[in-house]
Amino acid sequence: MSFLQLKNIEKFFGDHRAIKGVDLSIEKGEFIVFVGPSGCGKSTLLRLIAGLETIDGGNLLLDGKDITHAPSSKRDLAMVFQSYALYPHMTVAENMSFALKLAGEDKKVIKEKVEHAAEILNLTRYLERTPKALSGGQRQRVAIGRAIVRAPKVFLFDEPLSNLDAALRVQTRVEIAKLHRELGATTIYVTHDQVEAMTMADRVVVLRDGAIEQVGRPLELYDRPQNRFVAQFIGMPQMNMLPIGEFGSYAESLVRPLPVGGHIGVRPEHVTITNAGEGQLLATVDFVESLGAESLVYATTPHGVQVVSKQSVRSSVRAGDTVSLKFEQDWLHVFDADGQVVSNAKGVAK
Amino acid sequence: MDKTLLWVRTGAAWLVALLIFFPILWLGMTAFKTELQAISVPPKFFFTPTLENFIEVQSRSDYLLYAKNSLITSVASTLLGLLIAAPAAYSMAFFQTRRTKDLLVWMLSTKMMPAVGVLIPVYVVYQQFQLLDTRLGLTIIFTMSNLPIMVWMLYSYFKDIPREILEAARMDGATLYDEFRHVILPLGIGGLASTALLCLVLSWNESFWSLNLSSAKAGTLATLIASYSSPEGLFWAKLSAASLMAIAPIIVFGWFCQKQLVQGLTFGAVK
Repeated sequence: MSFLQLKNIEKFFGDHRAIKGVDLSIEKGEFIVFVGPSGCGKSTLLRLIAGLETIDGGNLLLDGKDITHAPSSKRDLAMVFQSYALYPHMTVAENMSFALKLAGEDKKVIKEKVEHAAEILNLTRYLERTPKALSGGQRQRVAIGRAIVRAPKVFLFDEPLSNLDAALRVQTRVEIAKLHRELGATTIYVTHDQVEAMTMADRVVVLRDGAIEQVGRPLELYDRPQNRFVAQFIGMPQMNMLPIGEFGSYAESLVRPLPVGGHIGVRPEHVTITNAGEGQLLATVDFVESLGAESLVYATTPHGVQVVSKQSVRSSVRAGDTVSLKFEQDWLHVFDADGQVVSNAKGVAK
Repeated sequence: MDKTLLWVRTGAAWLVALLIFFPILWLGMTAFKTELQAISVPPKFFFTPTLENFIEVQSRSDYLLYAKNSLITSVASTLLGLLIAAPAAYSMAFFQTRRTKDLLVWMLSTKMMPAVGVLIPVYVVYQQFQLLDTRLGLTIIFTMSNLPIMVWMLYSYFKDIPREILEAARMDGATLYDEFRHVILPLGIGGLASTALLCLVLSWNESFWSLNLSSAKAGTLATLIASYSSPEGLFWAKLSAASLMAIAPIIVFGWFCQKQLVQGLTFGAVK
């Protein structure tokens, strides 16, 4: 049996069904990332697990125990908030020891645990400071420290990096991933940033409108998206999505029978720009982004669909040029009119 | 140019301040005059001060008894008010529903009703429950008349405490009591103090209910002052002496708590 189990979890805000019967099993020690666009319910789902919102339907089991209606304080979970939510009137050491103090832990043990956590997080010098006197990154580390001193059953992270600047975000991301490897603690991490999801997760849960779209290992989601939403949500720049009609008879060689009103999806790295006659589609270049290591060419087909091509060589094409787009046949995903996958790229299997 | 403007402004500020303060100054001066000097026209600004009014007031009525009543009723009503208002404000600030705002406005609207409008019903109730002229009775009515303001003030202070901090405490294993004791109390102590101070002052100065619901036994300093505007005629000097004795404690108290009081009175005005 899995460590943390969500069974048909439901949440209503008034008449709005915010979480629509979510089922999910999480194994001990797993790093799970909830990802999705804003308003998809990922934070709500985390708060339901935390007990900060009441669960309106379904069951939540932790380590074999039903905690559906248990108060937060009795769930043995720790949470790191986006706003850090440190106690402003307490020092770093007091912030980190608060939970242990409430639990009536021995003073000496508390001191040891706090010092150990501070060492891991490089906070030893700041233990006597108040949060006010710390930088954003340090505050975030205190918030993480507050969670790890408790050695809870599950760590919950609610967009913990959103308030940090770009450089610090990357650094902290690496630190959190490292911390997870060292502690081996079960972790649920919410983010809207798919890079965080791809780099940190053992498994990613993609959410939309309060329901799970797909669960899988990061590359599995990248290679075998089950629907158009996941296909376009994961990957940067997003997967090109062209109506099947664009391809004319060429599409028939891909899949039979052709899904009426369906789409063909192809990632930018599998679109190359070739001389006229060699590709499948003609397009006009809108603009070119040269990022140094790679170039992104944005082009529009005669039917007005924008296609992005990612090339590792510096591109010589310029805006206004007419080019031919070549799609690598083994890397095409076919979706039906409802957006569900008909066939994923064959290239992955090879 | 700027300098002149500054002088004009400073002068104007002093003028307004003096104008507002003048009655109290006049009261203070009159308290040290004889009755004859007090009513003399034109008014005397220079005179030999006398303490006879204070001695007279103390001998005619027991100042300390009234002072004790004032102290007990205002402190008790403040504590009782905090006991009720703090949990109310807590739940309204942190567990808001769609009706919370309406509830708050409704509570405040009770302050807009003239107190005299409910004097008769309150009087009859007090009579039935034998609360007339008791300190308990005054404490209850002071508490009730201050509650809307207390709830509003505490609500606005509590609202400034980020919800996540309380949630973090809950995740850390804090019970409702722990949350209050270790998070709300230390973070909201400024607000609680300001609220308590304001209510203390309001209760101390309250006169309508104390005049109507109490007399010799539970009477507060407000009733002491009123007893000097008696049917036998006004005794300006003694009335002033009694007034000065009544307001002195609260003026001294207010002087020391100026900062908190101003903060309390402007609550919500500047965020």
